[in-house]
Amino acid sequence: MIDKTRVTFTVNDSPTEVWVWPHQSLLQVLRDELGHTEVKYGCGEGVCGTCTVLLDGESINACLVFAVQVDGQSVTTVQGLGEGRSTHPLQDRFLELGASQCGFCTPGMLLVAHEFLSRRPDAGREEIRSALAGNLCRCTGYTKILDAVEAFARERETGPGGEREA
Amino acid sequence: MYPAPFAYLRATSWTQAIDWLQEHGDDAKLLAGGQSLVPMMNLRLVQASHVIDLNAIPSAGIDRAGDVLTVDALTRHAELEESPLLADACPMLGEAAGLIGNIRVRHRGTIGGSVAHADPSAELPCALVALRATIRVLGPRGERRIPASAFFMSFFTTALEPAEVVVGVDVPIPPGTTGSAFLETVRRTGDFAIVGVAAAVRLDASGTCTDVGVAVAGTGDRPEDLSEPAAAIVGTTVEDERVAEASRAVADATQPRGDERASSDYRRRLTQVLTRRALGSARDRARASAAR
Amino acid sequence: MTPGAERTGTRDPSLNVVGRSVTGADFVQKVQGSLAYADDWHLPGMLYGKIVRAQVPSARIVAVDLSAALEVPGVVSVLTAADVPHNNMSEEASGLGMTAVSMPVLAGDRIRYGGEPVALVAAETAEVAERAAELVLVETESLPGVFSPDEALAPDAPHVHEGGNTLVEWTIRRGDADRALAGAPVVVEETYRSQRVDHAYLEPEAGVGWIDADGVLTLRVATQVIEHARTIARILQLPEKSVRVSGTYMGGGFGGKEDMTVEPYIALLTWRTRRPVKMVWSRQESLLARPKRHPFTMHYRTGATEDGRILAQKIRIVADGGAYPLLSPRVLFAGAVAAAGPYRVPDVDIVSTAIFTNTVPSSAMRGFGAMQVALAYEGQMDRLAEALDLDPVEVRRRNALQQGDILPTGEHAETEVALLETIDAALNALGPRPDGADGRLFGRGFGCSMQPYGRARYFADTASCWLTLQRDGSLVIRIGVTDLGGGQAASLSQIAGEILGVPLEKISVYIADSALTPHAGGTFATRQLYMSGNAVLQTARELRALIAPVAADLLATDDADGLVFADGSVREPQGGGSVSIQELVRACEDRQVSTSHLSTFRAETGEFDPRTGQGKTFPDYTYGTHAVDVEVDRDTGQVRVLRYVACHDVGRAINPLRVQGQIQGGVAQGVGYALSEEIRLEEGMITSSLFADYLIPTAADLPDIEPIVLEIGPGKGPFGARGIGEPAIAPCAAAIASAIADAIGARLAELPMTPERVLRAMQDRPLGADPRGGAHPRQPGGPTGAS
Repeated sequence: MIDKTRVTFTVNDSPTEVWVWPHQSLLQVLRDELGHTEVKYGCGEGVCGTCTVLLDGESINACLVFAVQVDGQSVTTVQGLGEGRSTHPLQDRFLELGASQCGFCTPGMLLVAHEFLSRRPDAGREEIRSALAGNLCRCTGYTKILDAVEAFARERETGPGGEREA
Repeated sequence: MYPAPFAYLRATSWTQAIDWLQEHGDDAKLLAGGQSLVPMMNLRLVQASHVIDLNAIPSAGIDRAGDVLTVDALTRHAELEESPLLADACPMLGEAAGLIGNIRVRHRGTIGGSVAHADPSAELPCALVALRATIRVLGPRGERRIPASAFFMSFFTTALEPAEVVVGVDVPIPPGTTGSAFLETVRRTGDFAIVGVAAAVRLDASGTCTDVGVAVAGTGDRPEDLSEPAAAIVGTTVEDERVAEASRAVADATQPRGDERASSDYRRRLTQVLTRRALGSARDRARASAAR
Repeated sequence: MTPGAERTGTRDPSLNVVGRSVTGADFVQKVQGSLAYADDWHLPGMLYGKIVRAQVPSARIVAVDLSAALEVPGVVSVLTAADVPHNNMSEEASGLGMTAVSMPVLAGDRIRYGGEPVALVAAETAEVAERAAELVLVETESLPGVFSPDEALAPDAPHVHEGGNTLVEWTIRRGDADRALAGAPVVVEETYRSQRVDHAYLEPEAGVGWIDADGVLTLRVATQVIEHARTIARILQLPEKSVRVSGTYMGGGFGGKEDMTVEPYIALLTWRTRRPVKMVWSRQESLLARPKRHPFTMHYRTGATEDGRILAQKIRIVADGGAYPLLSPRVLFAGAVAAAGPYRVPDVDIVSTAIFTNTVPSSAMRGFGAMQVALAYEGQMDRLAEALDLDPVEVRRRNALQQGDILPTGEHAETEVALLETIDAALNALGPRPDGADGRLFGRGFGCSMQPYGRARYFADTASCWLTLQRDGSLVIRIGVTDLGGGQAASLSQIAGEILGVPLEKISVYIADSALTPHAGGTFATRQLYMSGNAVLQTARELRALIAPVAADLLATDDADGLVFADGSVREPQGGGSVSIQELVRACEDRQVSTSHLSTFRAETGEFDPRTGQGKTFPDYTYGTHAVDVEVDRDTGQVRVLRYVACHDVGRAINPLRVQGQIQGGVAQGVGYALSEEIRLEEGMITSSLFADYLIPTAADLPDIEPIVLEIGPGKGPFGARGIGEPAIAPCAAAIASAIADAIGARLAELPMTPERVLRAMQDRPLGADPRGGAHPRQPGGPTGAS
């Protein structure tokens, strides 16, 4: 007889508690139990990147982690990037520079880009390209996504005036 | 899309994991990174009665004791990729790890998982064979140490006995100057290797090769240890012609399989090309580290 | 940053909004992750549907045993063919060449392809539905099948359907190609092959159905075509008014959501259970069973004069249509019409055929037949150049269509053809060739294309739009377009905003509702800008004409036609008075002049005679050239694309940023098609349905894609725009094949051009030897001198 387990963790800094079956993926629980539909199902194999979330700050495939595993950890989705209803500057660059077409890959791209630049704020375009190589996009051909991430990175380094904290 | 239900057990020590494996038998699966196991569970290719989560077991990480590098089984691929200790002592291992899948996979996938999974195209098993690594295994009857070349037996089949787990990997760092390299050919970034070659070269003070290790992934049902034909460069100063000769010998010694990914001929060709390049690169790195 | 953020980039200063790279509100939601796609919808009491699919490619269904499935706790309903009121997916025959073969919603007595739907399950959770579906036992008796056109055309081949294995055959003939070829000084001949590929959109097929308070079966679904509501009604034997389809913003379509996917299955379960039902296909299911791009075998014989002018083309196209027709007739039609490429050809003989096989049906995918043939017609041009020792650019110059020239169908190229300008621009942008130092193999190539936009004229295409100016000066656009993510809806706002002067922040667009938005036709055939764009333009102009007299009256002027609508107001052209849109609306209300208007744009119609292959086909074409630099690893055959320039004449770029994005996205798909993507079948069954094995390019597999957007020859879209969605993918494989040929001295004629195939084409020369011994295509030269 398999019981449900209580899992306590934070989602976008918000304390969360949920009772789950062990075999439920973090992806399924985030979407179906907690309403975080910004995390997508794209393949279930860890290949496409649409289910990307940050687990304790590291990008992972939410489809390949069971919810029971994240007890005590922090999960960040794309909605954890901005402050409240306003957008994060990285999202603004995506908007301005046409980095999003159908938008399905966008949440995952933003999270991976954000995580990468936090560790490597001085990364150049080709390093950004490599960092994003694990997130598939079928609409944009990636060029404008790189434009946006690079623009954000350069701006953050030299920043017109204020500090923009990632 | 959905795995079959299972009972979840979170191990806090290796012995606990082993006890559970013994108790629940073949239908219990070990969960480390999950990047190979969970896709198969999602597709219902694998079903488990019990899943034993190893992620709470403390990891000893990467350490060096004299001329042995010890790597805990739970070390993530991303850690291997970024380890300064590894970059210094055995760069090829981090290089191989950096080619695995994508960054999200590397954040979770572990060396122990990769070794136990024994995919014949996988990077780390191949690298470990070339490095003459030892796989440390723990089971109900205690610890065993199995040379990598004996550990990988066939497609997804290892020397693990029931209720045994991989707890670490020991990589010998021989004295003198060594250089190593891992190269693979993929059809697309992040894809499984059609062929991967791991090469390690040891030079003495005069720049003469005293030892070489070469292993090839993707040609057969496990990484092929082709150090013997590669030994054509031993006793030489590893000029390009010797390297070419050795790579031809390595390619001739392999009987690559043909499948939908590549024909046998192409795999043999890749074996030759990648061996030549990997040996050349390993030699160059050895020379560079000698010069330092 | 608010919606409406701009980057200026218009060449025409008289336009305010059109030509600007503005952003729409849906994009804000996309970057925030708050846009609700089809799977992001949950209703109380919702059930989950799952299709039971055939595991064999050709069989008689002996029995379907539901008992084990029905016993699973949580299963609510299990349906089979007998439960489908009208078990036929196909539309009414609406195009020339449509056959009478019908496609069941659920297979009843025969299985014709691996993955064909046989039964349907609805359950309380998706998991239970999946488990129950696995327990449905379909007992079959295998029947011999045919798995390739060659097999299907062999004598005594088993028939996929009664009436033989030829699905459709189109003929286009002008003059006497055989005679012209017999007398031609130069003839080049080759067979080109393209493969099955998948749309691989990141959003799998998904939707939710429910019955609303008025008893209307409502589907909220990722679809390119809301007009399927009619078909769903017919399948359920309901009056059309009882079915409503609401199209969501899709996570990619590319033709894969053009035929129905989940719709009939959701509809059946919803109608049977009277509860909401969600269905989401797994990625693996989608790879297995979702209709694919037609693989084409293209045999070309091209005859030319000594100075490279084409005399004749004899072309035979054979496509694998799979087990059911779907859109094969139209795809092969487009392939036939475009088969000779953007070149003059006096004598032409084209036969374009689709063949039934027991494989996953082939249907619509970006490019739609006219794209596959580009590999062939461009390959022929390069071969001609080689045979005659001419510059490949010069060969294009000598043959390129010009406005007014006759096409193989007897029509004339009605709009300006700026093909030569695109060649120049693309090659010039590449600049000097990479240095082939230390034995590295570099190659440069280019490919040209012509891709139709708009549906064939015999469809008598229409699109309707309803515009309403509201009291607060805002504008509501209601139009049935569906949005694939290419900014379709956003572009329409720009067009309306240009004509009516309403600022973009005050425009909202309601799309894709078969009950509430006037039908505009599906988003396919690169028709949306041409059709819906023109519909919005026409409606806006008509609305303006209705309300302008009121404005003139308010401004005490006679010249209603000369009034300027811009920036939220209406004013006299030479200073003078102005009145806000709000005031104008209120004045219209006072005078009982409606500020709400619906209009229908009708495309030009025309007749086509399938017997002669002469008549009116597509309204217009978009021309382009892609130029590519590649490096080939001489030892492994791997191809790296170093630079990629893609130039198209789009007439007018309504939104330059979006046009660039469409080009870049099309190129990325084209590179995957050229080098790595392939759906492989063995005995009719897919060999791997893992997404890990379907190799679409990652960011690391592509260079920065450099789009050059020319606005030279006005097209038939609003403000002279031409469509760009499909044109962007057409020249890719040809350009890359050309570049590889330049690098290795051998030309591949089969896709994908995998490393192994490239290596084999280098003819197994020993390692380190220069593969370029002997003749190879000359590098493309400088400007064509086109005016």
